[in-house]
Amino acid sequence: MERRQLLKQMAASSAFASAQAVFPGITFAAPKSNASLEGVAWKKAPCRFCGTGCGLLVGIKGSKAVAVKGDALSPVNKGLCCVKGYHAILALYGSDRLTKALVRKNGKLSPAPMAEALDLVANRMKETIAKYGKDAVAIYGSGQWTVPDGYAAAKFFKGGIGTNNVEANARLCMASAVTGFMSSFGLDEPMGCYEDIDHADVFVLWGNNMAEMHPVLFSRLLDQRMNRPGVKIIDLATRTTRTSLASDRLMLFHPQTDLALANAIAYEIIRNGWHNKTFLEKHVSFWTGKTNIGYGLEDKFAFEDKGEQVSFQRFQQLLEEYTPEKVEQISGVPVKDIRFLASLYGDPARKVTSFWCMGVNQHTRGTWMNNLIYNIHLLTGKISTPGNSPFSLTGQPSACGTVREVGTLTNRLPHGVVSNEADRKMAAGIWKVPVDRIPAMPTYHTVEMFRALDRGDIRFLWIQVTNPMVSMPKLRRYRDAANKEDRFIVVSDVYPTPTTDIADVVLPSAMWIEREGMFGNSERRTQHWEAMLPPPGEAMSDTWQLIEIARRMGHGQLFPWTKENHVEEIYKEYSKFHSGAKHEMGSYEDLKKHSGVIWPFVNGKETKWRYHAKYDPAAKGDSFDFYGFPDHKARVWFRPYEPAPEVPDKAYPFWLNTGRVVEHWHTGSMTRRIPVLDKAMPKAYVELHPDDAKALAIRDGDRVRLTSRRGSLVLAASIDKRGRPAKGMVFVPFFDEGILINELTLDSFCPISKEPDYKKCAVKVEKA
Amino acid sequence: MKLTLRRRLILIGCASALMLATISVIGESVRASWKEAKLSGEPSQEQPSIPVEGGVFRLIQKALAYKNAPETDAGRQLNGYYGRRAFPGAPPVIPHPTFDERSIGGKACMGCHAEGGFVPFLKAYAPVTPHPEMSNCKQCHASGHQEPGRTPSPFASSRFDPLPPPAIQGAALPGAPPPIPHSLDMRSNCLACHAGPGAPKQIRTSHPERVNCRQCHVQNVPGEPAAPFFQNRGSEPSWEP
Repeated sequence: MERRQLLKQMAASSAFASAQAVFPGITFAAPKSNASLEGVAWKKAPCRFCGTGCGLLVGIKGSKAVAVKGDALSPVNKGLCCVKGYHAILALYGSDRLTKALVRKNGKLSPAPMAEALDLVANRMKETIAKYGKDAVAIYGSGQWTVPDGYAAAKFFKGGIGTNNVEANARLCMASAVTGFMSSFGLDEPMGCYEDIDHADVFVLWGNNMAEMHPVLFSRLLDQRMNRPGVKIIDLATRTTRTSLASDRLMLFHPQTDLALANAIAYEIIRNGWHNKTFLEKHVSFWTGKTNIGYGLEDKFAFEDKGEQVSFQRFQQLLEEYTPEKVEQISGVPVKDIRFLASLYGDPARKVTSFWCMGVNQHTRGTWMNNLIYNIHLLTGKISTPGNSPFSLTGQPSACGTVREVGTLTNRLPHGVVSNEADRKMAAGIWKVPVDRIPAMPTYHTVEMFRALDRGDIRFLWIQVTNPMVSMPKLRRYRDAANKEDRFIVVSDVYPTPTTDIADVVLPSAMWIEREGMFGNSERRTQHWEAMLPPPGEAMSDTWQLIEIARRMGHGQLFPWTKENHVEEIYKEYSKFHSGAKHEMGSYEDLKKHSGVIWPFVNGKETKWRYHAKYDPAAKGDSFDFYGFPDHKARVWFRPYEPAPEVPDKAYPFWLNTGRVVEHWHTGSMTRRIPVLDKAMPKAYVELHPDDAKALAIRDGDRVRLTSRRGSLVLAASIDKRGRPAKGMVFVPFFDEGILINELTLDSFCPISKEPDYKKCAVKVEKA
Repeated sequence: MKLTLRRRLILIGCASALMLATISVIGESVRASWKEAKLSGEPSQEQPSIPVEGGVFRLIQKALAYKNAPETDAGRQLNGYYGRRAFPGAPPVIPHPTFDERSIGGKACMGCHAEGGFVPFLKAYAPVTPHPEMSNCKQCHASGHQEPGRTPSPFASSRFDPLPPPAIQGAALPGAPPPIPHSLDMRSNCLACHAGPGAPKQIRTSHPERVNCRQCHVQNVPGEPAAPFFQNRGSEPSWEP
């Protein structure tokens, strides 16, 4: 790495001078940055973007970030990044960076001193509480909140104001993973870690375009396949992607039928006797839950699952509906392919790792899909050991570290749930607040929070580090809600976005390495970085904004810290929630020293595989111990196939699928301000299957009108470029705030996790 | 010619050894294929290909060989590489004599250009084609070979002034991965031109084993109209041509 760096630097500096002499006619572009790497200090930080959590080394010179390289000491990425990571620092320097507070006066946002804006926010919050009650104020954060941001928000709202109106956009991306873990294992987050990649023989990707969305992890898969004979990558998908083209086998299934496919694999494993009988007897119990559970389309939709323990025989009987022959009819995957896939999972000689992300989680049966993948790994006993790993990936840098571990969701606390008295007592004890301050009832999950804003149940909403006016499904309803009379919206962000457009006050935030913080990635790794740069203008960290408002509202005693020590003190206080072998966090000093630390971090040692006594100090006995449940058994759930709420019909004959591209991260507010990435991917488009395009006389680049029951927009057709959707499906990436595809999507969600399904609704397609 | 008994015996011995070897090889492969068949079989679903997207992985199986190969300098330079193209992106001419004027190229060209390797009579490493699926080579690649002793054509001179070739090393930051400065049509197989001894040294990658090239290198084609990020300040969604 160092050598390559040096070579590049030498080439960059000498190339221009000698180019003309050595290669007449060849020009070398002058490096766009004139910064010489001499005198550059390299400081470690996790990447700002996805949930992989690559270790970066940021080159700092004076008060500027000048370069990025991969941190060779990080076990996540071992020195490699993706194109977003390598250019991450450019996201700090967009020319329209917010450096001053903005306050809406006579309908227009105008600059105001930060102190004045903070006073206004605090006063408005107090007035709202006085007029409408404490449950009329809410905070909506994100999986990009650092650990201290999320902790300050939870402590201020739940322990100070006394409302459970705390949610985060991670509800839109990994809530199903959480409920999946909770219902199958009783504890959240993966049992394995990225090191599983170095041991697995087969990788099964469930609706997950890793080559673009988790490219650094995918490069580790490709490395393994190149260096170890017999390693196979199987892509289960509804759309042909870059991942499909790199995999050994693509299996295309009809949208929503992954439920049936997973059941058919389980059926086939049992039919062939490939299930691990001793493992099942000792470590697994079998359950059924409610069926026909609805889709959450109506306001105030309520659902609670109820499990019932059943025998293995009963479970086996229920699976009879899912023979490969029947599932071929449902899913379109041929019997032979289903059997092949089952044989890979079932072969005792092969270690299997499954990866999934939004395809499984953003699903009206997302919790069920998570359960069903765990079922396969539990039936075969391929879990909690190196290479045998059902692995749920995340899309945001601290979806795990902040939203899941700090618990910035309406029903959660840093440890446990609000509905549990012991958990409330623990929080009240550590926060030094009366226990009845923390309400026992959860209030609104994200979609319902925006519906409450529409109805007027919520009057004040503070949005930090996220862009819901691009990312909410069925967008128009929620944008109209925010624009209603007597709604007060505060937005903390780093750039103007469609969300700052609906704000009454915009607070400029210090971004990423302009402040100290921690993120927690998909493999339970907590990573710390120091403040490396001064924030521009009056920009202030989200944590400190929260503390400023809390102090103005009389909750200053919750945050008795200084600007210098508050991150360290918050982390130390927060760590108390997780003490013990099941979730011990690395100390603040450990975090400063290492390129991330995996929890549970017990006696200076990372727990790479949970629930197995060989690797996990919390596990009792000599092998598996699923200690998340009182009977120390993991749960296999029977979950049936149920159709999607809105399926293509005569009027709207196409599925609409949405997602991302490698160049842009989420709503693009950062990556589109990185010129290299903007140029590479300037606009959203709609992908069509070539046969559908031909039937509609649409050629690549033509204007196409997409219409759903909720909205309509016109965009350019893309045929056989980045991806190819199945026949009868179109795909649109959601990064483009100029082409708001979420105007068309449906706000149906998984009744258990309350996570919306962005992958399936019905549209019509016309040449525009 | 009369064979001696000794020679006959040797021949018979060789033949039987060969037969035994053949039988054992066939047996082994049958066994292996049976084992494989039990668990795999051929895919029964369509496995779509998107050339412009999938090309990057096409030479994946050679990446390790490229990585482990000793540094060989075929003497191919970037100026020569561009010198064979009328303008950046034009199909290069064939710089050497070809063997069958009537053929479309096909197998004859692919003999060297599918896999690459040293060609003794030209004393050069053959460059690898990024689009081996196209076999009518001479449809686009004309002969640029000048027969020795032939008078230059009176039509040879031209006032055509080609654009300069794309700049290389256009990284946005010191040490950042340089973007791809060219179109990917028929050139999506990165390793073909950027790895191995047939690749011009100036554009040869230092890390051919990182096969998902486009994880780090994105396309920024100079000259193509840049579409600066359009900020949609609360207006209605619209399509910008």
